[in-house]
Formats: sequence, C-alpha cells, structure tokens
Amino acid sequence: MAMMPKRVKYRKSQRGKMKGNASRSNFVAFGEYGLQALETSWITARNIEAGRVAATHFLHREGKVYIRIFPHKPVSSKPLETRMGKGKGEPEFWVARVRPGQVCFEIGGVSEDVAKQALVRVAHKMPIRCRFVKRRHSL
Amino acid sequence: MEKTLLLKAEIREHAGSKHAAKVRKEGRIPAIVYGHKEKPVAISLDARNFVERLHSGQRLMDVQIGKKKEKMIVKDLQYDYLGKDIIHADLMRVSVTEMIKVTVPIELKGAVTAKGTHEGGIIEEHADRLEIECKATDIPETIAVSVKEIGVGDALHASDIALPDGVKLLSSPEMLVVTCHLVAAAKTTEQVEDEMPIAPEVISEAKEAEGEEKEASEGKK
Repeated sequence: MAMMPKRVKYRKSQRGKMKGNASRSNFVAFGEYGLQALETSWITARNIEAGRVAATHFLHREGKVYIRIFPHKPVSSKPLETRMGKGKGEPEFWVARVRPGQVCFEIGGVSEDVAKQALVRVAHKMPIRCRFVKRRHSL
Repeated sequence: MEKTLLLKAEIREHAGSKHAAKVRKEGRIPAIVYGHKEKPVAISLDARNFVERLHSGQRLMDVQIGKKKEKMIVKDLQYDYLGKDIIHADLMRVSVTEMIKVTVPIELKGAVTAKGTHEGGIIEEHADRLEIECKATDIPETIAVSVKEIGVGDALHASDIALPDGVKLLSSPEMLVVTCHLVAAAKTTEQVEDEMPIAPEVISEAKEAEGEEKEASEGKK
C-alpha cells in the first residue's frame, strides 16, 4: 500500500466539498523551487508516489525532494456486480485534498534548470494543471 | 523619463474586503500606515509604481498622503493565493535617524558550486531571513552569504554571517542558517510500501473494544 495515515478516528469519510483557494501551504517553504496546483482535485496516494519516484529518479541522488501533501482522506467504493444498498463500501484508496495555490512538491539543492526539468516530470504524473514556482526571498 | 521617488497615496474612506477589491480593480493596492504613536491611516497606492519600486529593492519610500510627505518602510506584504500579485501592504512611519528592526533576506552565493556539493552533499537552507537593527537609510537589500567553502557536515549559524557596518543582529546567534549533508539514497516504492501499514489503526474501534473487554471482566466478577 502507498502512503496512508497510521491512525484514524473513523475508517470511512464523507466526500466533502473543496471550495475556494489554498490559504496555507501556498508558498515554497522548504526547498528552493516548487510545483503549485492550479486546480482543485483529489490527488491519490498513487499519484503522489509516482511524482516522488519521477523526481528522485531524475535527480540521481542530487538535491532533496519535499512532499507537501499527504493523503488523509479515505475513499470507499462498492465491489463489482453488487446491488445498491447494504451500506457504504469499503475504503479502497487514500487521497489528498488539493486546492488552487497549494504547493505539492518542492526541490532544493539543485540548479533552477534541473529543478524545472524534474518538476515537469512530476507535473505529468498529477491529475491537475500545475505551475513551477520559486521561493520568494524578499518580503 | 526620470522617475519620481515620491509615491502618491490616496486615503481610503471605506474599509473592508468589498471596498478593498474595488480599489484593486482600479489598479491600486490597499495599504495601511502606522507607527510613531499616530493613528493608523488606510491608504491606497498606485500598484505599478509601488511594485516597480519594490522590484528595484527599495524598502524606504517617501509617501505623500494629502499634502503631508512622510518617510516610510515597507513592513509587510500580503500576496494572493498563487503568490503572484500583492494584495495589501503595511507601511511604517520612520525617521531617517532612528534605529529600526527589519527582516532582511539572506542570499546564498555559490550554493551549486560549494565544496560540499562536490563531495556528494547538498546545501540546505534552514533560514532565509535575518532580523536586524539598523538605520532606516542603511537597510541592506539582501545579506550575501558565501557558502563556497562549506563542506559535508559543516553548518553556518547566524553569528557566522558578516553584516555590513551599522547593522546589528537581532536574530538568535545560534540560529541555524545553512548546513551541508549527504543525500540519503532515495527509497524505492517497495521500501515505502513496507514502511506503511496495511490499514490504519482506528481509534474509535480500539476504544469500543476496550469498553467491551471491561464490561466482560466486570460481568465475570
């Protein structure tokens, strides 16, 4: 299994809504360059893992990759060929809720050119439009 | 064309997000002026002039509010959710002679060509700003820190940074600014999966089970 929480209060959750834009985690805080989400979406643990593998594979042990999102939300589904009713399905996978502005991945310790190429590869693994951002050093 | 160093501000009569949004639509940036134990004044500044001034690295500005000209520094800026546009600015009144506290960004020089990077390490920046005290006219745009000589396992603290004349450090001298360390081998997907549990522990179910056990033990007694 890919990323998921170690402990949860409840096994299943309702779908919820994702209104508005990210009001936190919307700037590069750890590395030097980042990948910022431009759309609202659920990003699955598999998407995140694919992004991490793409970035680390490209960087060849250079630099450091920071993952700023975590799949906290369980998504349940019903088995195939099952009649409706009989209660909610079992949790199938885990997702991170991402709103526009959220910085999903960060890279530090490499040049801008290398970071850009690595983050383009990560962006291809994401189900949403993303943009490359730099750390804001001034006020 | 010679650019004037004076920023003309207009007083905002209405506060609140709706009125601020209207101001932004007109190509202006809402701002607040405070300091010197005077009443705070809500103003708006021409966005283009103000951003141009900021990009040129100016922190100290002459601002004209009505007929009064005052010297101010940019204390804080608020950005939109994408971090592209400035949506609000905090300006603080200062006099040229007084010492003021400001945060200044640290600029790392030679991070990619540092000694440690040739040894297989990476330069990690732990703090990107320093709090300093200096005269309003002497605020440095950035504090340049050379990391060319940093090897693997070395660390640079705030006290190690050479500051320009007339600038006093206010941040803790032990504050970690830069370190150089070896990069751990990236984990494979299988390794990550091994570390993760098959299913998370459910807190509410554990509590219920505990309650049932207690009841059962009490029943036996």
